[in-house]
Amino acid sequence: MALKPEARGRIRSEPAIKLINVSTYYSGETKPAIRDVSLEILSGDLVLISGPNGSGKTTLLETILGLLKPRKGEVLLLGHEIPREAILARKYCSYLPQDFMKPAGEPFSVKEVVAMGLSPLRPLGRLGPNDWEAVYEVLDLLGVKDMAERPFGRLSGGQQQKVMIARALVRKPKVLFLDEPFSALDKEARAFLSEEVLPELVRRETTVLLVSHDIAFKPSVCNKTVHMKDGKIVKVEE
Amino acid sequence: MLSVLLTAILAGALAGSLCGSTGILCDRLGLRTVAFAVAHGALAGAAFSFVIGGSSILMGMAFALFTSIILGPLADAFEIPIDLVSMTLFSLYNALTFIFIILSPGIVLAAEKVTQLLWGSVLAVTLDYLIILSAIAVLYALFLVVMWHRIAPILFDRRLAEAEGIRVRVYAYALIIVTGLVVVFTLRITGGFLVFSLIYIPASSALQLSENMKVIVALSALLGTISAVSGVFLSFFIDLPVGSSIVICAALILLTSSTAGYLRRRWLITSISIEATSD
Repeated sequence: MALKPEARGRIRSEPAIKLINVSTYYSGETKPAIRDVSLEILSGDLVLISGPNGSGKTTLLETILGLLKPRKGEVLLLGHEIPREAILARKYCSYLPQDFMKPAGEPFSVKEVVAMGLSPLRPLGRLGPNDWEAVYEVLDLLGVKDMAERPFGRLSGGQQQKVMIARALVRKPKVLFLDEPFSALDKEARAFLSEEVLPELVRRETTVLLVSHDIAFKPSVCNKTVHMKDGKIVKVEE
Repeated sequence: MLSVLLTAILAGALAGSLCGSTGILCDRLGLRTVAFAVAHGALAGAAFSFVIGGSSILMGMAFALFTSIILGPLADAFEIPIDLVSMTLFSLYNALTFIFIILSPGIVLAAEKVTQLLWGSVLAVTLDYLIILSAIAVLYALFLVVMWHRIAPILFDRRLAEAEGIRVRVYAYALIIVTGLVVVFTLRITGGFLVFSLIYIPASSALQLSENMKVIVALSALLGTISAVSGVFLSFFIDLPVGSSIVICAALILLTSSTAGYLRRRWLITSISIEATSD
């Protein structure tokens, strides 16, 4: 991935993500989904965001990515002001959404779905031979290479989640947003993601924001846990 | 007579392929009702021309194009689903069409023109129209080929595409406007009431026959062409309204492709069970 010079090699002490008193409301709601959230995440941090259902974990992720507009406060992602410069910052990020499942009739093939992750980073979205090599490599890493030609909709929930993780990884992101990435995975796959893939990403200075309502799957390389409740950060454990 | 038929067939083929491929994109993007609003915008525009004078076609096009341009921004500005905006405009345009027809001075003449716009006519196909339709088909094909790798992620998951840095709104607006143009120029053959069938029936048929997105788009265009051309033939030789004939042909193709799709799925299940037993 061709990164801008200023985005390369940011020093460890520089925050990859910074939120100052951020409040986000859903359309028509009078109660904010997240309220007065302030948070600083450094490059190379692996942060677990935890909390019960409806505590604002996904809203927080989508606010940082600029998919939801904060009504109050300031959001900076890789130095870019969000949502104004979101389109620039997103090129260096990957996102695994919580609702990744597609119905059985989904016609895009597995390799096409993973390749889509790279297309926003290429002129007119066209991939070269090296890109396709990267697609197959990451499919191999996640153990779904033999399914490359199959329609995405024909895969099981766990297989679909692995393909979506592959799509997030193939972009070689500076910041990786994972929303409930273990939800459909079996024990073996969870351990592989948690104890092999994520530590390797941290070693490469990738910032990881991992949302999970269950802290039993906390990766060993996790250096910060943010607890949320009712749209507020109630505790930060370093 | 032969040149009229040939022109109509060519126009039908172009309109069919345009509508077919547009239908599958509208379906994937959740823009199914956009065509309704645009087509009825054209009807209201044409009816308006009966009141103030001037070309019903040009006024219809102006209304339809205006509708396709404002639909996306309206939905975003009011933060309501685009389907609701489309159906609201659809109802509003129906009301306006009725009022304009009542207000028009030569009501009999107006009714005849409106009938042509509602149900379509092969006689409305002229050489100029054919040239414009060809230009739109070429531009649309180019847009799809050049932009496919940007459009595909949006078709797969709009929100994820946005999160990965694609300007989803720009492409969605462009597709709405393209859909508007396709509807406007197909109206003259199929009519305002039946243009939706040429957009959605070939798309439904194509979905029965393939599990590959690019093949589905191409098949949808091909089946749209076959529906339109066979409909024009049927209309000419049995003297039926062209729009209705096209819909009947499209529905027959859907019936055939649904049967073929069902048999293909049954065959796949059977072959998988045989493979499993032999293992």
